Amino acid sequence: MAMAMAALRREGRRVLLNTPSPAATMAALSRAASQSQIAPLGARSISTQIVRNRMKSVKNIQKITKAMKMVAASKLRAVQTRTENSRGLWQPFTALLGDAPSVNVKKNVIVAITSDKGLCGGINSTSVKVSKALQKMTSGPEKESKYVILGEKGKVQLIRDSRKHIEMTVSELQKNPINYTQVAVLADDILKNVEYDAIRVVFNKFQSVISFRPTLATILSPEVMEKESESGGKVGQLDSYEIEGGETKSEILQNLTEFQFSCVMYNAVLENACSELGARMSAMDSSSRNAGEMLDRLTLTYNRTRQASITTELTEIISGASALEG
Amino acid sequence: MSATTAAVPFWRAAGMTYVGYSRLCASMVRSCLKEPYKSEAAEVEKVHYSRSKWSDGKQAKPTICEDDK
Repeated sequence: MAMAMAALRREGRRVLLNTPSPAATMAALSRAASQSQIAPLGARSISTQIVRNRMKSVKNIQKITKAMKMVAASKLRAVQTRTENSRGLWQPFTALLGDAPSVNVKKNVIVAITSDKGLCGGINSTSVKVSKALQKMTSGPEKESKYVILGEKGKVQLIRDSRKHIEMTVSELQKNPINYTQVAVLADDILKNVEYDAIRVVFNKFQSVISFRPTLATILSPEVMEKESESGGKVGQLDSYEIEGGETKSEILQNLTEFQFSCVMYNAVLENACSELGARMSAMDSSSRNAGEMLDRLTLTYNRTRQASITTELTEIISGASALEG
Repeated sequence: MSATTAAVPFWRAAGMTYVGYSRLCASMVRSCLKEPYKSEAAEVEKVHYSRSKWSDGKQAKPTICEDDK
């Protein structure tokens, strides 16, 4: 773009300021025509057609980005309320069972949550980066670490160098507004189809419209949870609760961890959707602004070129007239 | 699964997870509602996603998961 403008300016100056021999003019024009079709052969002054087209397209792009920003902003409001409400679902679990991101187990599953659509800043690459780092940390000679990927964009990025480790991919989650039932079906699916000792959910936690934190939530399998509880820690306090019904501790732990997984997933999916909309809003805002700036620059160049050609024509007429008089 | 003691709940024996069981229970409760609340509650039961399993770096054909009714 900038190069084209520079070429345009240069060619413009050559045609306008010099009054060279016809052969030189032809050479310059044919060069211009062959280079970038700026002016047709034999044209007197520079054509502004290209700049006008460019301005039109930039204006259209600006309209589109503005519309996308509005759509993201209006969707964001509803999703944000749901997200903030859903935080109450996992908080009791963390209070009861604690969070153990540093747990060292054999079978790790990393659930990377990304979006299906692009144009939303860096949230997807943040998720992918964190997941990759986590994969490196949790895989070793006796350990393995698999991916479950939610969203098209994360899949596309992880296919490149980690396709061997992908266990399952999920997309089109956001066709309907996200609800708990949907996430529960998905969580059920993952629990049944993927073997795990620890599931690590990676997502972007929504803080504000301009700030998202890559977040990690760890869900342990009942067996690992039991081992953790024996070694003390938060889970150890579970014994101090009185439990109704005839269920054993391991049953309760299994139910709890499964339910914890679906709740954490529900919150994570919502947080990520919310971050996506927020990121899209700010990305579209800045691209509308950039389009505006570009439009200003183009308009300035366009007017300058137009004015220059008018001036030249006037000079030619006046000097022609004075040549006749003199 | 670790919870293979004598008192296995019937749904666990049928191969369900707690999540699946609670979802089914919730759906039963919702189906007891009267109109117009019933169709309102049906809104939060919509399920749609496409899932594909991978093995050895190859993607299997995606399956669309929709409402299981």
